[in-house]
Amino acid sequence: MIAVEGTSGSAVAAAARSLARALHDATGHGGVSAWDASGIFTELAAAEAGIAGPSARTLTLLYAADLAFRVRWHIAPALDAGESVVVAPYIESAKALSIAAGLPRRWLDEVFGFAPKPHVCYRVKEPRRRESSGRQNGYSESFTSALVANGDPTDPAELRARSTEYLNSLEARRRCIRFTPGEVARLTRPQTRRR
Amino acid sequence: MLQRREASRGLLVAFEGPDGSGKSTQRKLFKTWLKSEGREAVTTKWNSSPLIKPLVKVRKQVRALSPEEFCLLHAADFRHRLETEVLPALWRGATVVADRYLFTALARDAARGLPFDWLLHIYEPILWPDIVFYFAVSPETSGMRIAATREPKYYEAGQDITGIDDPLASYTTFISRVIREYESLAIVFQFITIDAERSIDEQHREIREHFQQAQRRPWPDWNVEAIADWLARAPDAPRAMPRAAHV
Repeated sequence: MIAVEGTSGSAVAAAARSLARALHDATGHGGVSAWDASGIFTELAAAEAGIAGPSARTLTLLYAADLAFRVRWHIAPALDAGESVVVAPYIESAKALSIAAGLPRRWLDEVFGFAPKPHVCYRVKEPRRRESSGRQNGYSESFTSALVANGDPTDPAELRARSTEYLNSLEARRRCIRFTPGEVARLTRPQTRRR
Repeated sequence: MLQRREASRGLLVAFEGPDGSGKSTQRKLFKTWLKSEGREAVTTKWNSSPLIKPLVKVRKQVRALSPEEFCLLHAADFRHRLETEVLPALWRGATVVADRYLFTALARDAARGLPFDWLLHIYEPILWPDIVFYFAVSPETSGMRIAATREPKYYEAGQDITGIDDPLASYTTFISRVIREYESLAIVFQFITIDAERSIDEQHREIREHFQQAQRRPWPDWNVEAIADWLARAPDAPRAMPRAAHV
């Protein structure tokens, strides 16, 4: 179980695809469990106009519900079958955004307590220039635009900076490894047994 | 700010109990009485957020929910209503009558086998109600009252966890577990237990008496974290309190 974390939806998706492709070539299996597999956020985006939007806390609970779906239908079956699965994004990306929006870390640890720990965690660095096209291609973008639409007082630039800071701290504590193309080769290289 | 608001805020009254306990009937009578007393009264019903309810409904129809998803979606629905309906109404002084509250989730989800500690955390920060009326009936009465009008629905009957094909048989098994959980909650959280096997009129009179004698739970003592969380983030909340320093 390989987690790919980051706050750029397109960068996380691209890294997940390359990891899954390499795993598939090396082992014959390896799929991606992506955000919004349950369709919760797609349906949320289609909600009728005039309804009050979700707060950061409500969005976090919805992300956790989507994650419960992914654990049940993607992650647990793959692991039970002895197959590799790339989960992108997983828990830390959601925590980064929620903490940046002011939610308590202890509460987030509890909410996501049902999800299994990944064997490896990669962190995908955000591109230097954020996409300015307004594309809604990941949880981070969806979370930020939902807060803005809902009138949340958190400044989006501050949200990005704080969530990046959280992911940087994970890297510094070696809880996540910086993702590079070289990591794909390293991960899929046959391991030699040492005596 | 909370001290100042304490005098003018509305009361939060929760009606809890198993299906078929008659709490919705009592809630309607109670609300009518409150209005006749000149109070503004607002009702909030379980799983009724206009944003989240459609998501839950579709997933219930296809019977695709695990206990964790079931719990988390209902928690999202609850949080959305709390922030957009309940707290704004209380803040402006209205009495909020909740037809099921947090304890419904605790009883049902614990009956589904989820850890109680985890459930409590999911609903944090908790806005404790001033009064909780618990409508106590036996599993048999609950089952008879439900069966008299309709067949229990899949999740209502707990068929997702009992593995029993017959909805009514599954309901009887599941509601017995739910009632056991409720009875524990009633002790721990000091519910006012109403014997819901009695006549509608007797129950209503007892509810009025309890309400008139009940002590409110002061926000500064009970609900600082929940109110601060709402004031710091909710779009419609007054912006006079600083953001709670959580990080």
